[in-house]
Amino acid sequence: MSESWAAWALIVGMGLVAFFTRAVFILPGSHLKLPATAERVLRYAPAAAIMAIILPDLAFTQGALSISIANPKLVAGLVAFALAVATRSILLTIVGGMLALSAARLLA
Amino acid sequence: MQRAQISALGEGALAAAPQLIGIVPWGVVAGVAMVAAGLTQGQAVAMSLLVFAGSAQLAVLPLFIAKAPLWVMYATALVVNLRYVIYSAVLAPYFERLSRPWRALLSYIMVDGMFALFAGKFRPDDGRPHKHWYFLGGSLVMWTAWQIASCLGIFAGALIPREWSLEFAATLALIAVLIPLLFDRAVVCAALAAGAVALAAAKWPLNLGLLAAIAVGVAVGLAVSRLAPENARGEEGGG
Repeated sequence: MSESWAAWALIVGMGLVAFFTRAVFILPGSHLKLPATAERVLRYAPAAAIMAIILPDLAFTQGALSISIANPKLVAGLVAFALAVATRSILLTIVGGMLALSAARLLA
Repeated sequence: MQRAQISALGEGALAAAPQLIGIVPWGVVAGVAMVAAGLTQGQAVAMSLLVFAGSAQLAVLPLFIAKAPLWVMYATALVVNLRYVIYSAVLAPYFERLSRPWRALLSYIMVDGMFALFAGKFRPDDGRPHKHWYFLGGSLVMWTAWQIASCLGIFAGALIPREWSLEFAATLALIAVLIPLLFDRAVVCAALAAGAVALAAAKWPLNLGLLAAIAVGVAVGLAVSRLAPENARGEEGGG
């Protein structure tokens, strides 16, 4: 039951957060030119957060750091990075990454 | 509705249509990932409708699996969504004459792709009275496609065997979302620094390593932009 409570708290809270970030200037109708430094922080933070989520997921297997070609998720992640840079396609990145994961598992 | 409104609505919808190629697979992956993370189907549908922010949803799910504290998950969603604060500031003058419900609706439904289309096509005071209908038309197309794709993932995802590791597709989708955000050298340095700190601090309690990684990343990005200023400003993309 507590699990379900946590899930709903997450959903509703995230809904409020998502609406807040989108509405913060539109809803009050405020005129504001963001200072350049503020805009930089607002641009750097999402990229930093997403990378900080991706890398541990790729580099840790069963709770241990594994930076090696014997780690299938790391290999697949590198393939996906290359595909994303080369094609800018979400579909190709996901399909190629999943195929790379299967291949790396077979070979590992 | 008047003719001009309908025509602006349709024009926006047509302009947004090519972006569906990116939205649909991403929505399916988000749907699958929510169920794989342990949300019920009802909860996953509610999240898709209430949050409607794919990258924030995908970013928070690994934390939910790891039973991170709620406030850390809220903070992560906030940080990943910070780019919307920029869009909100840019779009506010366009919509200032609209009623409050209109402004609330357009805020809720705003996504990266439509922001880029809209801000590229219109000026705030260009005397075109129906541009919010254009924004609504395009956004509705993207919103509908995202919700259908997400539901497909939610309901089909439950049938896919665990051994396929489909939750990994969420990480891959985040990689695809990250690349367009890396628009200059400073932000690349910010992301690399954050990644390094995240690896070093992965065992910190309460997932605080993630928040430390973001803070260090932003600091490094600012330092690089100060030391080696660059004029290059790439366009915004992804989700």
